[in-house]
Amino acid sequence: MSVIPAALATATALGVAGAVAGLVLPQRVRSAVVGVLTAGVGVAGGTAGVAALGGSRWAAEVPGLLPLAGTHLAVDALSGLFMAVAGAVVAAVAVYGVGYVAGHGSHGAHGLGSRGAQALLPLFALSLLLVPAAASVSTFLLLWELMALTSLLLVLAEHRARPAVREAAVWYAVMTHLGLVLLLAGLMVYAAQAGGETFAALRAGTAGISPTVRGLVFVLTAVAFTSKAGLVPLHAWLPRAHPESPSAVSALMSAAMVNLGVYGLVRVGFDLLGGGPAWWWLLVMAMGGLSAVYGILQAAMASDLKRLLAYSTSENMGLVVLGVGAAGLFAHAGDKALAGLALAAALLHVVNHSAFKALLFTGAGSVLRATGERNLDLLGGLRARMPVTAGLFAVGALGAVALPPGNGFISEWLLLQSMIHGLAVPGVTMAIVLPLAVAVIALSAGLAAAVFVKALGVGFFARPRAVGAAAAKESPPLMLAGMGLLAAGCATLALVPGLLGEGLDRAVAAVGFAGTQPVSGGGLQVRLHDVSAQLSPLWVVAALMVALVMVTATAGWAARRRQRRTQARLWDCGGGAPTPRMAYTATSFAEPLQRVFDDVLAPEQDVDVTPVRESAYLVERVKFRNRVPDRIEHRLYRPVLGFLATAGQSARRLAGGSVHAYLGYGFFGLVTLLLVLVVGW
Amino acid sequence: MNNSLFTQLLDLACGAFLLAAVVVLWRRELAAIVRLFALQGLALAAIALLLGLHEDRWDLIVVAAGIGALRASLLPYLIRRALDALVADRTRDQDGARAYTYSEEVRETEPLVNVAASLLTAAALTLLAYAVARPLVELDPTPATRALPVGLAVVLIGFFVLVTRRRALAQVVGFLLLDNGITATAFLAASGVPLIVELGVSFDVLLAVLVLQLLTARVREAFGTTDIDDLRELHD
Repeated sequence: MSVIPAALATATALGVAGAVAGLVLPQRVRSAVVGVLTAGVGVAGGTAGVAALGGSRWAAEVPGLLPLAGTHLAVDALSGLFMAVAGAVVAAVAVYGVGYVAGHGSHGAHGLGSRGAQALLPLFALSLLLVPAAASVSTFLLLWELMALTSLLLVLAEHRARPAVREAAVWYAVMTHLGLVLLLAGLMVYAAQAGGETFAALRAGTAGISPTVRGLVFVLTAVAFTSKAGLVPLHAWLPRAHPESPSAVSALMSAAMVNLGVYGLVRVGFDLLGGGPAWWWLLVMAMGGLSAVYGILQAAMASDLKRLLAYSTSENMGLVVLGVGAAGLFAHAGDKALAGLALAAALLHVVNHSAFKALLFTGAGSVLRATGERNLDLLGGLRARMPVTAGLFAVGALGAVALPPGNGFISEWLLLQSMIHGLAVPGVTMAIVLPLAVAVIALSAGLAAAVFVKALGVGFFARPRAVGAAAAKESPPLMLAGMGLLAAGCATLALVPGLLGEGLDRAVAAVGFAGTQPVSGGGLQVRLHDVSAQLSPLWVVAALMVALVMVTATAGWAARRRQRRTQARLWDCGGGAPTPRMAYTATSFAEPLQRVFDDVLAPEQDVDVTPVRESAYLVERVKFRNRVPDRIEHRLYRPVLGFLATAGQSARRLAGGSVHAYLGYGFFGLVTLLLVLVVGW
Repeated sequence: MNNSLFTQLLDLACGAFLLAAVVVLWRRELAAIVRLFALQGLALAAIALLLGLHEDRWDLIVVAAGIGALRASLLPYLIRRALDALVADRTRDQDGARAYTYSEEVRETEPLVNVAASLLTAAALTLLAYAVARPLVELDPTPATRALPVGLAVVLIGFFVLVTRRRALAQVVGFLLLDNGITATAFLAASGVPLIVELGVSFDVLLAVLVLQLLTARVREAFGTTDIDDLRELHD
């Protein structure tokens, strides 16, 4: 019983110690000490999470820590799940971060290795672990804001090296605070109506709140939480902030921070508000589905490796939220067993996504550190130069494509199972929405395969297309160790997901689907309780391995039979020997997809032909530009930003420089207010 | 002191307090405005003294003495000195000693709202103050709280002076009227404020006036006038 408070206290102490160490220690030992302390934070927080998943609960009130409201903490299995995931990611990334900073040359002084960034890293890790443990509105908002601010400052870590970082940070700052404002408004209305601000009081007071107010609270908080999770249409910060931050921070943000958006949605939607009418969940499903398809399409078009991964985060969070929405819909229809299954699938996908996305971002960081290049078009040939990184990245990519034997496959399979079996639930809405959801999941899974074939094939195979990639060297052992831990996590999740079964059941039970036990089974099997389906990942993998060996053997045997092999130069149309730049690039790989989804993506293409001066038929130069802008961002954000800029400009006329005018604003404001008071009473 | 005498004296003091503020709007001479301000300080001190005597609180009597010293003599003296400095600067090479009385700088020649309209506005603001204070008075209708709207009215009139008067020193007086109004409201609503609070507020006001006095001289040096609308050039 006492594991959780002890672990949380240890994590807090280590986090604060890490922050102090980051501030005072000299650069030589700073990153090592901070890394060890941050890893300690992760291990301690993860321990607390695992203990909670194992069935222990804990709640405490610390009255003196915050003025007025006090601090309320509580850990149940749902918090435990998110804490365990965050703890594991933090521990692995902390190990990786030590290697990332060490010997980074001149970058280390200003980037992640700087005094400020090293002091903030443990605090960010700590806030990631403590947000799920908050049990009152004020505590939750405080920790949420601590998480937003520390991550914002960490995004800014490399601002001296690249000006683009500042713009990304401004976007992130504005959007995260807009989210906070919505969250604040929603939770304040909720607390005022429920007559208390602890989660227990909210839970108890929900029944007395009118449906309209409950809907308002849900919409406000859901928009805020989905913005944090990087869902369309409030995703604009994500593809900016994730690529521009140091890779260790990207990994933490993408694999642990965005999860907390899902946590908030589940906590408020199911646990506190206790579910709701169908339109809430249809709204959530619409956002999730849109994000899944749009995110993976943008990822398919991206040639910046980290931007690609960021959009893929948007996609995976979309799938998770789709599952959460489906759970709400099933719960509303009265089918608790299916609701539990959909929610369990969504939560399992959170876990899986964290594992492979942390691995992929750390892998991308290794590539960036070795080559100085994020553009896939200029990479290539890294398999020979960084074999371990390439292998680990492949494990992550396998997880991301949702095909066996990757870990993403299992959760997406569960998600599909819940949707397909949901068709048995009567209702027109179900009959329309669920097939669409199945189609969305299938389409995004298919596109994800293309995306990660592109990332792995173009980035790591073939020959290097630029000097940076040609000169790449393997990363230091500590980085590889951190990535190895994450890869081991991916492999475990892929082979024996049954280990999580009991924990998932408890997490689902903690938010009001008690007694459903959707996913159970021993270590080697996933058996779905109320629908007749089961999966043994280990057998699937074994069968795949056998098939793979047989296919390779057959192909090798066939090749050996046709011995005649001649060496010849490749046909080059008389244009000279082909260079590596002529090989498939990320852009050319994505071109067919761009054609298929032309209407959705609306790419911008310019062809600029300059003829030789003497003859219009002889071309001197052809310039071709191809951009795929974020269309939702253009359509939605441009007008808003333009309107704000116009309003700001016209408001300048109010500030004419006359002191009397300024005083007059105050005077008339006061008098008007008093008049309103007089008339109002 | 019996109750009816206390009530009559308090009403008299409050009346003088309000009247001084209204007459500030009527007079154009800065020197006269400063005299009115001193008179108002006296009325405020009287309010505090009456409350102290009525409730047998020696600390209120000390506060009253302090208010009298500060607002009826020290602050008017400081403003008067700033005014004389302006005049001395201007009449240095003229012979007539009384010639300054009609100079530009010592008169509020052209307020943004003319005098008649200002007086009407003051009446309207006083009405507003009475209307706003009605629920407050109803909470505890004693003689002191019944006079509460006077304090609010002076706050509003002081603010109005700030908004409409051009000369820097008239602005300073407007600011001080506002502060007098706030102090009077505090006295009437809460039967006096603790000594330490009043001490803090007084030092604040004193410091503000000292700074503004310096600032006025500097503005005059830099721009040749103390009409604050000429500071318009300073914005970006």
